[in-house]
Amino acid sequence: MGLTGLEIFKQLPKKNCKECGQPTCLAFAMQLAAGKAGLDACPYVSDAAREALDSASAPPVALVKIGVGEKAFELGNETVMFRHDKRFEHPTGIAIQVSDNMSADEVKAKVDKVNKLVFDRVGQVHEVNMVAVANDSGDAAKFADTVKLVQDNTAYPLLLTSGDAAAMEKALEIAGVNKPVVNAADAGNYEAMVALAKKYEAPLVVKGSDLNSLAETVEKIAALGYKNLILDSGARELSKVIADQTQIRRQALKLFRPFGYPTIAFANNDDAVMESLYASTYVAKYAGIVVVNSAEPEHILPVITLRLNIYTDPQKPIAVESKIYEILDPGKDAPVLITTNFSLSYFCIAGDTEAARMPAYIVPVDTDGISVLTAWAAGKFSPESIADTIKKLGIMDKVNHNKVIIPGGVAVLSGQTAELTGCEVLVGPRESAGINSFFKQQWNQ
Amino acid sequence: MFEIIGERINGLFYDIRDAIANKDPKPVRDWAVKQAEAGAFWLDINTGPVAKKSEQAEIMAWLVKTAQEAVDLPCCIDTTNWDAIEEGLKVHKGKALINSTTAEQAKMDALFPMAANYNAAIVGLAMNEKGVPKSAEDRTALAMELVANADAYGISPVDLYIDPLVLPVNVAQEHGPECLEALRQVKLLSNPSPKTTVGLSNISQKAPNRPLINKTFLAMAMVCGLDSAVMDACDDDLVDTAATATIILNQSIYCDSYLKIFRQK
Repeated sequence: MGLTGLEIFKQLPKKNCKECGQPTCLAFAMQLAAGKAGLDACPYVSDAAREALDSASAPPVALVKIGVGEKAFELGNETVMFRHDKRFEHPTGIAIQVSDNMSADEVKAKVDKVNKLVFDRVGQVHEVNMVAVANDSGDAAKFADTVKLVQDNTAYPLLLTSGDAAAMEKALEIAGVNKPVVNAADAGNYEAMVALAKKYEAPLVVKGSDLNSLAETVEKIAALGYKNLILDSGARELSKVIADQTQIRRQALKLFRPFGYPTIAFANNDDAVMESLYASTYVAKYAGIVVVNSAEPEHILPVITLRLNIYTDPQKPIAVESKIYEILDPGKDAPVLITTNFSLSYFCIAGDTEAARMPAYIVPVDTDGISVLTAWAAGKFSPESIADTIKKLGIMDKVNHNKVIIPGGVAVLSGQTAELTGCEVLVGPRESAGINSFFKQQWNQ
Repeated sequence: MFEIIGERINGLFYDIRDAIANKDPKPVRDWAVKQAEAGAFWLDINTGPVAKKSEQAEIMAWLVKTAQEAVDLPCCIDTTNWDAIEEGLKVHKGKALINSTTAEQAKMDALFPMAANYNAAIVGLAMNEKGVPKSAEDRTALAMELVANADAYGISPVDLYIDPLVLPVNVAQEHGPECLEALRQVKLLSNPSPKTTVGLSNISQKAPNRPLINKTFLAMAMVCGLDSAVMDACDDDLVDTAATATIILNQSIYCDSYLKIFRQK
């Protein structure tokens, strides 16, 4: 992420004094851009120029660590506007909010619910990431008590929300050791909030009333020497949040330093379904943390699923698990279809089999998630790997016949597969779209 | 998207020269339409070397108007005569492309304000009063002068088309790799980076089998970051080469009919 010649030139004094050894400032800028000269050669550089060099080495979006211990997670280090350009790096942290206006029992009940928001998706565990505590009461002691109660009942990192530095100080005396997110510093209270965040080395949310005021406050905080930051443009309306999130990411990627941090977005909405929709939008549109109210699994699971999908690496093929898949409750006489575990291949054959109303078993061979012909060419879809899979999964024990069906594209494998498996190998159509007529002609004859 | 600058409306060609002499709009219109259909993005307009200097401004205005009456394409106003550039800009519809300034300070100080004033894009040649530099490094340094000066006049790098200057391969062979390297370097000068262009057919002046040399160089230059070229839009083979390079560079999404789509934009 080097600086361009023009960007460096703009920071130079433009005296053309030649003291750096170059004929002009422009020539010196080009040498710097090419890494052939050091900025120290110029005796007249300003702080702005040093800042520019800083920018050259720092990533466009800073990495921010949240919490400590097993449930700690990271945000930032993002490099693209669109996931298909490369990938999104660090999944959005989902925070569920409790209020210090709630009774101790209510708080405890909700935190217990949050602790149970753990879901099994495609063989992996996915969960929420934080509990947010809001100082809605305006009472510092109540806030501190609620923070203590939440901390005692969950392992998740905390997000402490209060505009009152005194209340925040009390809460941090309890939770500071676990590096909670301090929410938020604004134009009015930033000096006190920065002092607190510094003391506990906790990530600090900077809140603006709009993008301009946000940039100003971040610059003031950076001048105080604190850069462990998360950004909140202050927008709460869906359309405005999308616009601000987009601007923040776009400007960060153009190395506008005040916006070079992860963001936080608040999806809180009285209507829990709307809240899920808002949260989903923010997951797709660059939010580092999204805060919601509902702890109901039916509102959280869709957001977690979306997050999983949005943050997968588009360059890597998506694989399904290599296991026996049952289509339409198959019986002992149902056909056995062999394919690969590339998700696209699997879902093609599964979809077409279901559309043909044919109860069947589908057995994807683990080919590292690549398609039938690709895997065949790479030696990963071979008579040996097919035979191993059939044996390992015990598919032939589920049926009362001895036939397996392989894709028509690899008809050439049939003989050897039959030898190795002892099965009768039927060669299916080249395209799964032909599976319906294949069943009619070759299976139900 | 790769921008073809159709070279055909140029007083160098006899039919255009006669059209200018007779004030006959037909050949100009015909070439405007033909080049537009072939996929041109800009129409290069050049009064040609025969036109008297005192008449060039008027001819330029007539050519621009005539071409834009026939097709909805912007023009690349190609002349060294500053009055002719300005007359062309006055009648031009949409965003024009001025062709060109060099990195000579006096030229930059005259033409960049003109470009800014008429909201036009401008071609900057990587040369100055000392001539065409040989090395990629010297070409890039002059390109940087152009970028910095354009910026000072409020012209965005995306409206600046740097031409690293292509010389004939038969007599200036050693310039080839330097020119290609300069194309690469120019893309790193600013963010967003300046655009790039070349006078493509220069590469094959007086050499046999010009089409082969032209299309080979075009593909190589596109790999190095070439965004546009003054070229023969009606050379189907050449346009096919540009279209294919665009696909291989993942600049537009592949489809089986990409050659046709490339010409449609």
